[in-house]
Parts: sequence; C-alpha cells; structure tokens
Amino acid sequence: MQNKLSVGLSSLVLLQSFTVFPEYFISVSLLYVLIVVVLITYNVYGLMLQKAVSECMALILLMACYLIINDDLIALNFSIFNSSIINDYFAFLTKFVICFSSAIYFLIIANSLKEQRLTSFEYLFITLFAVLGFMLLCSSNDLLTAYLAIELSSLSCYLLASFKKTSSYSVEGGIKYFITGAVSSAFFLLGSSFIYGLTGSINFSDFFDLFECSCFYQFPYHMVDFGDNVAELAWHIWWVMTHDLPELFDYSFLEVGLSLILFSLFIKLALAPFHLWSLDVYEGSPTSATFFFAVIGKLSIFVLLVRLCYVSFFSLNNCWQFYSIWIGIFSIFVGSFGGLKQRKLKTLLAYSSTSHMGYMLVAFSSSTYIGIQMLFFYFIIYIMAGLCTWFIILSLRLRKKGLNSKYNKELGDLVLLRKSNSALAFSFALTMFSIAGIPPMIGFLAKMSVFLSIVGISFYFVALASILFSVVSTFYYIRVIKVLYFENVLVGKLYYPINNNKILILSVLVFLLIFLFINPTLLYLLNYKIILSLI
Amino acid sequence: MLSENMLFSLFSIFLVISAFMVIVVKHPVYALLFLVSGFLCASFILFLLECEFLALLFIVVYVGAIAILFLFAIMMLESKLADLSKNAMKYLPVGFVFGIVLLFPLLNEISSNFEKNIYSNSFYMNKFQNWYDLIDSITDVEAYGQVLYSYFVLQLLVAGLILLLVLVGVVYLTNNFNVSKQTLEQAIFKQLARESKFFFTNLK
Repeated sequence: MQNKLSVGLSSLVLLQSFTVFPEYFISVSLLYVLIVVVLITYNVYGLMLQKAVSECMALILLMACYLIINDDLIALNFSIFNSSIINDYFAFLTKFVICFSSAIYFLIIANSLKEQRLTSFEYLFITLFAVLGFMLLCSSNDLLTAYLAIELSSLSCYLLASFKKTSSYSVEGGIKYFITGAVSSAFFLLGSSFIYGLTGSINFSDFFDLFECSCFYQFPYHMVDFGDNVAELAWHIWWVMTHDLPELFDYSFLEVGLSLILFSLFIKLALAPFHLWSLDVYEGSPTSATFFFAVIGKLSIFVLLVRLCYVSFFSLNNCWQFYSIWIGIFSIFVGSFGGLKQRKLKTLLAYSSTSHMGYMLVAFSSSTYIGIQMLFFYFIIYIMAGLCTWFIILSLRLRKKGLNSKYNKELGDLVLLRKSNSALAFSFALTMFSIAGIPPMIGFLAKMSVFLSIVGISFYFVALASILFSVVSTFYYIRVIKVLYFENVLVGKLYYPINNNKILILSVLVFLLIFLFINPTLLYLLNYKIILSLI
Repeated sequence: MLSENMLFSLFSIFLVISAFMVIVVKHPVYALLFLVSGFLCASFILFLLECEFLALLFIVVYVGAIAILFLFAIMMLESKLADLSKNAMKYLPVGFVFGIVLLFPLLNEISSNFEKNIYSNSFYMNKFQNWYDLIDSITDVEAYGQVLYSYFVLQLLVAGLILLLVLVGVVYLTNNFNVSKQTLEQAIFKQLARESKFFFTNLK
C-alpha cells in the first residue's frame, strides 16, 4: 500500500498538499466566479453572460486537467491529510476523465442553455460544484470524506434536477431525486457507523491492514500469473491446505455494514431494484441536467466501490460478489426489457443507462483485477458514447411556432432526420450502433471485454445471460436507427441548424468511436495502469 | 452508579414512548411536539454519556431548527391532511414483517459482536475514580474543536462548500428575481388574522 507521509497540523503548507491542487483550483475559481458574476457583471450584462460563463467553466476544468496531468507527485503514490486523500494513478485517471468530459459538457451546453430557458448562471455554478464533488470522491480514502463528497455532488444534482422552477415535472423529479438520495445517504451513514463501531476506524487503508490477513487463504489464484514459479504456487497451496484455519474473525456484522454501504451506492447508480427514481428524474429534469446525471455522474461512485471492495474489504469478497453479481444481472435484465415498449427518448436512455451500469457491475463482481480494467475501459467508452448521444439530443431543436419549444423528445420526433440533417442522422446511427455493441464500433470491444472478464472466472451462466439480454436490448437501439432512416413517412420534422463549433466536438467524438475500435490499445493501457496502482 | 443508570433508563423509556407517540398521534402538530420531546430525551441521554457536544447539537439543530421548521411548514400549508389512520391497518402487517426482518437479524448481530464485560458485576471490576481526569480534562466540545481544525481541516472546508452550495441553491429556488409581481410579500395583518378553523376542520 501507499506510504503514509502525512503529518498533522502543518500538512497544509507541505508540498504534499499540492496533490489536491486541482480541487483547490476549482473551488477557489468557483468562489471567484460567484463573486465576479454576482457583484459586478450580472446586473449589467444579464442574460448575455450565459454562454461566456459556460465557456469559462469549461476553461476552468481544462486548466484543472492541465494541473492533473502535470502533477508529478502522483508517482509517489501517497496519501495526505492524515491519509484521508489518496493520490494514486487510479484517482489521477478518473479525475482526469471526469474533468475532461465535464469540460466538453460545458462546451456542449453553452449554446443550448438559453434555448432551454435555464437562463440564470447558478446552473453552471451548481454543475461545477457537482464536478468538484465527483473529483473529491475519486481521491477520497476514508468514509467521512467520501460521504461529504457524495453529499456535495448529490445535493447539487438535486438542485440541477429541479432547476426549471416553472415546470412541475422538473420540480417533481427534483423532489423524487432528493428523497431517494436522502434515503441512500442515510443507508451509507448507517453502514459506515456499523463499520466504525466494529473496527474503530474510517480509513480505507486501515481496513486493509485489519483484514488483509484473511486475504491470504482466500487468495484468488487465477488472477496471478505464477509462471515459472511452480515452487511458490506449491508453497501457497501447501500453506492453505495445512493451515485449515477457522474464521479468524466473525465478519457477519462487518458484512451488514458493507452491504448497507453497497446498497446506498447502488441506489446512487440507479441499478435495477433501486432504479425506479431514475426514470422519472431523467424524464422530468431539464435535458442538460439529465445529460449530466447520465454521463458524468456515475464514474466516481464506481471508484468508491472499487476502493471499498477491492482495496479495503477484499477479504469479504464473498459478500460483495454475491450482491453485485445478482444486482448486475437483474439490472441488465430490467434495462433490456424495460426499454422495449418505451417511446420517450429520455426514459429510454435511462433504461439504457441502467443496463450499462449492470454490465459494469458484472465486470466489477468478477473480483479479479482484469475485471476492474474492463470496468473502466467500458466506462470511458460509455462516457464517450453518452456525450455523443446526449449532444445530438440536446442540439436537435424542433422548429415550432410559439414559445413552447419542447425538449422532451419521443422517438417519433426523430423521423426523417436523414432528409433534414443527414450528417447528424449518420452520427446518431453510429453512436447507437456503438452503444448496442455492433462490431465496427468500440462498443463491441467494451461489451466483449466485460463478457470475457466474467468468463475468465468461469461464471459461464452469468456471461450467457448477460449476452442474451444484450441481444434483447439491441432491439431498441436498432429501432432508433429504423426511425431515423427507414420510417415510411413523407412529412418529417424540421430542426434548427447547428452551429459549426459544436459540430467539431461531435465529429471528433464519433471519429473516436470508430478509431478506438481499430486501435484500442491506448485505452487498454491506461486502464491497465489502474490495476498496477491498486495492487 | 445506580442513580445514573436509573436516569438513563428513565430517559430511554421517555424516548421510546415519545417515538411511539409520534407515529400513533393523528394530529401532526402534536406528533411534532412528541418528536421534540424525543429529541430532548435523546440529548439528555447523551449528556449522561458525557457527549456534551452531540447533546447540544441535538437541541440546537434538531429541536431549535428542524422541528420548528417542520412546525411552521405544517401550520402554513393549507393542504388537506387526509386521515391516514384508515390506511394504517392496511400497511401495518407489511411494515411489521419488514421491520422484524430488518431489525431482528441486526440486533442479533449487534448482540453477538459487542459483548458485555463479564466482570462488570463482579468484584474484579475496577471502580476507582481517577481524580486526575476530573481535574485536568478536556471537555467534549474542546476536543472536537481541536480535532476538527487540525486533522479534519479538509472535511471542514468541504462542509463549508456544501453550505455555500445549499445557500445558493435555496436562494435560487425560492426567489423570483424577474417577475416582481409574483414575489410573495408579507401581509402581516392578513397572516395574523388567519383562522385556525380551516386547518383543524380538515383533520376530520
């Protein structure tokens, strides 16, 4: 594990704390933006400011990306603030992905905020708060910091969901999100209080130190390549055989605490038995907010899950593997079958997101380090495809008379997009193919790697079931393409044209979807380094 | 020792009774008052356990802020408070079963994991009072302060950020900046002259 180089009082001024420099930067610039906008410019410029502030947020995040990349202390792999913040490659990569994708998000929504009538600048401010929460969660190394980061991000998500005060759907979605989120936070606190009561610590590395001993005889041999070291393997097997140890410790209470925390995180991820809030929230809240929840909001919670289960409580892997496999399978099932009759586009994507979370949870449950690699490989591709999809949905603006511009789309609204904007229709079709997992797109490799990681630990039935469900879910992705291209209608809908700057982002993203299929090694390598930092 | 335990059990009995009454009582205002008394009992118990900070926090935050806020919300909302007791019998068995299913294994786990000191009633129990601790001791509040501003400084900062976020969000959600006519203004005469009839008649 990491060296604890931390000291108490004076740690604020040490060089170590430069590793949280991106977070410092973002929070300070948040305050600065707040002061500048509220006190100086908002009264004078008002609504004209919207686009500029949004691009300013993107700039802040890109600079944070720059800070993350230039952070050479990552190599030292230590934890600071009394080991409540950890700086390893895992945190580095996930923070970078979150920062970069949300910078793209800010660039994408810069124009469409005015069209959605989200004119006040607080929207951007709150979104940046959420990004800050996600980044803190990625590098948090104890339960308290993780809880605070989750609260920071989810409180801002509730606000984003209910941001459109004039729409009762949005308010309803916000309240539903708030109530489920509060319940899940309560579960998190209950579970962590159980764990604290039993172990007397809230630190992940302390948990590792406390429970690592039992890792030895539950050691997953399939994940280690012993190679020529037959003697070592034989020694291990001999050691396990001879030391037919009883349970060193009664883990049952710890399992209760851990599973409460797991359930609370599953609620946040909208996995299948707990996904019901997500349908209404996704449909009700403003489209750009839904975009944010669906694409960016879930990576950091997986980071916390991996830190909890793979680093600190690996010895309890019977417990969390059981829950995550069943919940993963069930959410793939629900996500695939629930979307079949859905005509609303945002709810359809909510189901799709549930099933994707299911695939990732299945990869997570493999309890091998290959599983983690495939999980984050899948996640980065999910984020890319999600950026494409939601970008297209956000930029399709129906040309209608009157002020009442509808943002919630049904499948029928996409009819004959091929005629009116053929390039956009083509990229939408490519994205759908990628999400469905059709071979010339990167989505195929992502899904295949998840299935391979499950087959690797010989859970053939799970792999078979998830492959079958994925075939079912292909139906509704393909149906979108059918609506785009082959609908037998003469009169389609008309859309406003999209400006050129945004098209550049979209074309790069779509190009990546194809290019990474030809050359996926870059992503594989990046995610392989995650494994190296976790061991 | 004995009197302490007596007080402890007294307050816990009051706590359980008031928690039960919160659910049973029909009138929401009375239920809320029972909730307040429950919080007070809990804070007394915490005082007995020498957790002064948590006890004060309970009184200040829960009794002083949250419960009173609820009280205002209930009194101000002129919503129809439907009689929930009809549904109570419908949901009682299900809730009972789920409660048992959750609570019983949990209590079982707790009792099996946290054992009582077996010497607590015997001769070997160390009962002497350390006078030094009584003279030179740090109170709970001081200890929290010392830890909070040194070891948990990052967490404190994050909590401050959360407060800022909530402040901005609440100001946005409740204010109407643009439409000046829709802004609710206080009409003190009207508010004071409001009848309580409407609220109470809806209960029946």
